Amino acid sequence: MSDTPILAAQGLVRRYKMGGSALEVLAGASLELHAGERVAIMGRSGAGKSTFLHLLGLLDRPDGGKLQIRGQETTTLSRRDRSRLRNQEVGFVFQFYHLIPELSALDNALLPAMISHGPLQWLSVRKRRREQARALFEELGLTDRQRHRPSQLSGGERQRVAIARALCSQPGLMLCDEPTGNLDEHTSEAITDLLFEVTKRHAQTLVMVTHDIDLAARADRILVLHDGQLVETPGHSAAAPAKELIR
Amino acid sequence: MFRFFLAGRYTLVRPVSYLAMVSIGLSVMALIVVLSIMNGFLRETENVIRGSTADIVVFPIQRFGPTSRTKIEGIVSGTPGVESLTSRLIRPAIFKVHGRSNPRIWNSMEASRSQVLVQGIDVDAELAHSSLPESLNDVRDPEVRVDDQEDPFYIPAESVRDRRLRNAENPGILMGEDAMRVWGLRKGDAVDLATLPDGFELGRDVIQPSLMTFIVSGAFNSGHSNDDSIVYIDKSVAKVWAGTDHELSELYITAEPDSQPPELLKALRDQIQVRLLAGEEDCIVHTWEDRNRTWLAAVKNERRILLVILGFFLVLVCTITFSVLTMLVQEKVRDIGVLSAMGTSAGGIGSIFAMVGVTISLAGGIAGLLSGVWLANNINNVKDLIEEQFGVQIFDRNVYAFSEIPVELDMYANLLITVATVLGAAAICLIPAWRAARLDPVEALRYE
Repeated sequence: MSDTPILAAQGLVRRYKMGGSALEVLAGASLELHAGERVAIMGRSGAGKSTFLHLLGLLDRPDGGKLQIRGQETTTLSRRDRSRLRNQEVGFVFQFYHLIPELSALDNALLPAMISHGPLQWLSVRKRRREQARALFEELGLTDRQRHRPSQLSGGERQRVAIARALCSQPGLMLCDEPTGNLDEHTSEAITDLLFEVTKRHAQTLVMVTHDIDLAARADRILVLHDGQLVETPGHSAAAPAKELIR
Repeated sequence: MFRFFLAGRYTLVRPVSYLAMVSIGLSVMALIVVLSIMNGFLRETENVIRGSTADIVVFPIQRFGPTSRTKIEGIVSGTPGVESLTSRLIRPAIFKVHGRSNPRIWNSMEASRSQVLVQGIDVDAELAHSSLPESLNDVRDPEVRVDDQEDPFYIPAESVRDRRLRNAENPGILMGEDAMRVWGLRKGDAVDLATLPDGFELGRDVIQPSLMTFIVSGAFNSGHSNDDSIVYIDKSVAKVWAGTDHELSELYITAEPDSQPPELLKALRDQIQVRLLAGEEDCIVHTWEDRNRTWLAAVKNERRILLVILGFFLVLVCTITFSVLTMLVQEKVRDIGVLSAMGTSAGGIGSIFAMVGVTISLAGGIAGLLSGVWLANNINNVKDLIEEQFGVQIFDRNVYAFSEIPVELDMYANLLITVATVLGAAAICLIPAWRAARLDPVEALRYE
């Protein structure tokens, strides 16, 4: 792990207006992550886990606090610059896969790469990128599913395509929102194995929001979002205290 | 790149996109076909009118007795831009078939048939400078064509059907082809024309009409609707028959080819008017367009009205395209969230949907332009096919002076229609595209 954190969040605050009053979902959540770290974030439903993930992924702006990615302050960036940084540094995996139904599995995976290149640039890198995506599909066991549309794939396959999409641009940070929440136990286990394996192989930092204690237990650190603050559970055998906090 | 790629996929895989394209295409096609047909009608109408009317006509105002034909002709022929001229002596007359009882004038139809405008013409000048030769040639029934085009009033004595008139040397008369059919006349039949002599005063004099019997030497067909109410006789005969000192009712002017365009013709008209006034000749001077202003304006007006009505279809088409794109944005809220998560900027998301709108509009517009031009060019074949298959009459050639639906393609106007439609439909698509760009990505990802 290098000394410069890949992600540094300090005192993140996020409020939502609910009728006449303001609901403070995050009240100074802080987190520092280094390259290759795998972190699980747990918490009760409505505790603000997804909100925190959206802030880390630059999809939302905090009402207070600071957020740096690879040392760059992001809260002052324009919407366009945040989009560019998100494309380069962040990969998302969602609970419901969120694949584009009109595109093949391979094209879905290539979408972040396409977004990062202009039309002419893309023509020059297209072949290489496709080769890389094919190699990734092979790694994820999707070789014979490249041309399939999302509707022609199983839940597990869809999530693997979503993982391929998140990995394709080789971002430093992988944000997963309940990645196995929509899968059966067997598939869930396979996807978890895959996720940990490929992020390790590609030296990516993994932040995973989950309700699954077993899944969280495989992470390097478990953080629990409690009363708008991130509480780190002590030691590596974090599953038991985490259970207490989310109960 | 991904914007083109995604916009293309969104457009191609959704049947509703094709529906919007078809709507745009049909509207553009309808506008092009209607415009082409109306242009064709206008052109044919102008041709028919021009075929039977001189470029410029001078009407001397003969308030104080006969005007000097030679003086007016001199002034007019000396005007630069005038190629040739012919003069006519015109009189209204009661028409009757010789030997038959007087026409029963019980109703307006009978009245209109028995009243004719007799045009006394100078045959040589008319054959050289007017459309009379074409009118004689265009007669459909060979039985009623004149024997000698160089002398259309000639009728051999043996061809005169009433034996009593064979040696009487009655002058010849040319009648409209359809009028001859209505009256049941053939070449060699005799007809009587009666008119009132000059200088009579109603209520004081016992009026003795000027009466003369003519032999039908043949028919003419100018295609103009007033052929039925015109007859031609020789001008020198007309002068004797009408018992008048007048030599000129109307002067028909042919302009030089360089002066034929409408604007130049108007300038020539004004110049003639000025010169006649300078010569103290009070005359009304009209171009062929002035004389048929109402009729031409009616056709132009019909064209305008139809275009305005069809223009509403374009508004409808824009609404359909807008609805299709609004539905697409609504349907793709999740995709918008995902695209944002992958780093697409707001502008990038907006441009994807704008491209869908432009693609639909452009494809529909081009399809409409091509199909409209094709249909306009083949409208008569399509008409024949529909008439044959469904047994309905779409175009009644008896109503018009032309045998098929006239079409004139104005490619500039057609391109303008297409571009305006494409731009209109594409512009309205910017609204849903702008809404897509403004969607909050977090809200979009949570959208159920």
